[in-house]
Amino acid sequence: MTRTLMEGSEAIATAAVAAGCRFFAGYPMTPFTEVLENFGKRLPAVGGVCINAESEIEAIGMTWGALATGARAATGSTGQGLALMQESLSEITRAELPLVVFHMARGQGDYYQATRGGGHGDYRHIVYAPIDVREAVELTELAFDRADHWRNPVQIYGDYLLAHTSEGVEFTADPFVPVAKDWAVDGSLGGSGRSRNINPIGMQKGSKSIDPESFWKRLQVKHDQIEASEARFESESTEDAELLVVAFGSVARFVRHVVRELRSEGRKVGYARPISLWPFPAEALAAAARGTQRVAVLEQNAGQMIDDVRLSVLGSVPVVGIGGISSDSAGFGMGPLLDTRVIRGRIESALENLEVST
Amino acid sequence: MEREVMLTGIGGQSVQLAAQILARASLLEGRHAMFLGTYGGTMRGGNTDSTVIIGDAPIVSPPIVSSTWSAMVMHHQFWQPLREKLRPDSIVVVNSTLFENSFATADSATDSTAPEDVPRIFEVPATQIATDLGNALGASLVLLGAFASLTRLVGLDALLQAMRDSIPSYRRQHVGANETALERGFESLPPNGAPAWPTAGVAQ
Repeated sequence: MTRTLMEGSEAIATAAVAAGCRFFAGYPMTPFTEVLENFGKRLPAVGGVCINAESEIEAIGMTWGALATGARAATGSTGQGLALMQESLSEITRAELPLVVFHMARGQGDYYQATRGGGHGDYRHIVYAPIDVREAVELTELAFDRADHWRNPVQIYGDYLLAHTSEGVEFTADPFVPVAKDWAVDGSLGGSGRSRNINPIGMQKGSKSIDPESFWKRLQVKHDQIEASEARFESESTEDAELLVVAFGSVARFVRHVVRELRSEGRKVGYARPISLWPFPAEALAAAARGTQRVAVLEQNAGQMIDDVRLSVLGSVPVVGIGGISSDSAGFGMGPLLDTRVIRGRIESALENLEVST
Repeated sequence: MEREVMLTGIGGQSVQLAAQILARASLLEGRHAMFLGTYGGTMRGGNTDSTVIIGDAPIVSPPIVSSTWSAMVMHHQFWQPLREKLRPDSIVVVNSTLFENSFATADSATDSTAPEDVPRIFEVPATQIATDLGNALGASLVLLGAFASLTRLVGLDALLQAMRDSIPSYRRQHVGANETALERGFESLPPNGAPAWPTAGVAQ
């Protein structure tokens, strides 16, 4: 068993290539840049292609083309770059292509963007938010698997800390075996009898017209199935908790640490983390919140995931936000909230408010 | 058990390299490790800090810590934030050739009744030793060697191997000088003077 020291961005690219990713296109932007650089180092060596595109829009367009050939392919950016990609993200989802997106966000302010999206029409994609580099490796492997399984995009939501922290990681996944994709285009021309059609409007080869209603309804059924089966969740110390603290991604690592510390001092506080932001693990969270007096959401933004937490507990327990906007001077999301002393203070205040109000 | 090591210096002193070597050496000895470097810009003279966390099990601590078990101080210019994270019993190994500042923590400076609450300071003239070796840029490795000897957080063999593994192909000409820097550093502080682990030796 050998653990290799790798920065998050390097570990992600390594896991993706091991999972069979053979095409990557992106445009540099902190803290995503090193993800692109690491794909650039790794893909040529295995016969793959990595392109530094001239823009994020071009990058996702190139990846769209690679996916249509049946290749495992990925793109990525920060929330800023993903804002440019929204039209393509929604179209790729309707074209039912297994895109993987590595989103190295500048903090947690892109939760709405990741889980709701800004593209047109009814579309959803799976979003995983790893807590550390080791989990990012596992979720990267899973992302390519789930994307192929559902023929639907999957996003990994990371941040500066995930991309730049180094950890000893292991790569234990089974070697990737390419799966034949009977829908992929292979260059055959119309009239050859072998050509295929991949498009985002439900056009069937051979039919004279499109049928958007039945196509969109079929996609809805698929998204309902994903929602019912792909939620992922972690929790600790919820049994007799009076306060449940919910957090995601890198911030959850600080919260989990503080909750363990408070538990060891006898405080009745629990911890819950959605690993998948969509589907949101509503049932598991509602179960964890049962019996608590309050749910506190600690996210590094003005309050976005708190909507999903409220929709999960459906008024059965009050939900309060105890996080907030927090950034460094460069806007990379490395703000003063990323401090266990600060987070401990927020959670202790929530516990004290509980005592005052009950 | 997890042990935190915070490093501070100025850009160009190889602070990030020393942190990387320490983390990699810990993995070679079978432990778990995590590190996060932070720096203001890729330039000489700017702030450069790193936090390394080493443990017997997968690291649960966040990569930004609020207090530290130990520190390696290459320069005083940007050391204030680190100083505030020292615990009363923290182990601090200092590059005494360049360091020009007070070691007292905020608490010990204001509370004269608790002189024992001053971190345990170990001075090593790392830049002088490295300069005498003809390898002034190896000062951080001298300090790292001294730190390893004192704490036995990692052994010398693992450090040497981790250094070789960390040097890129276009810098191979420095491997020999870096080995000497680590070895001389290792000789410059008393062995196991401030042990990191309950029993001396490496992880199983």
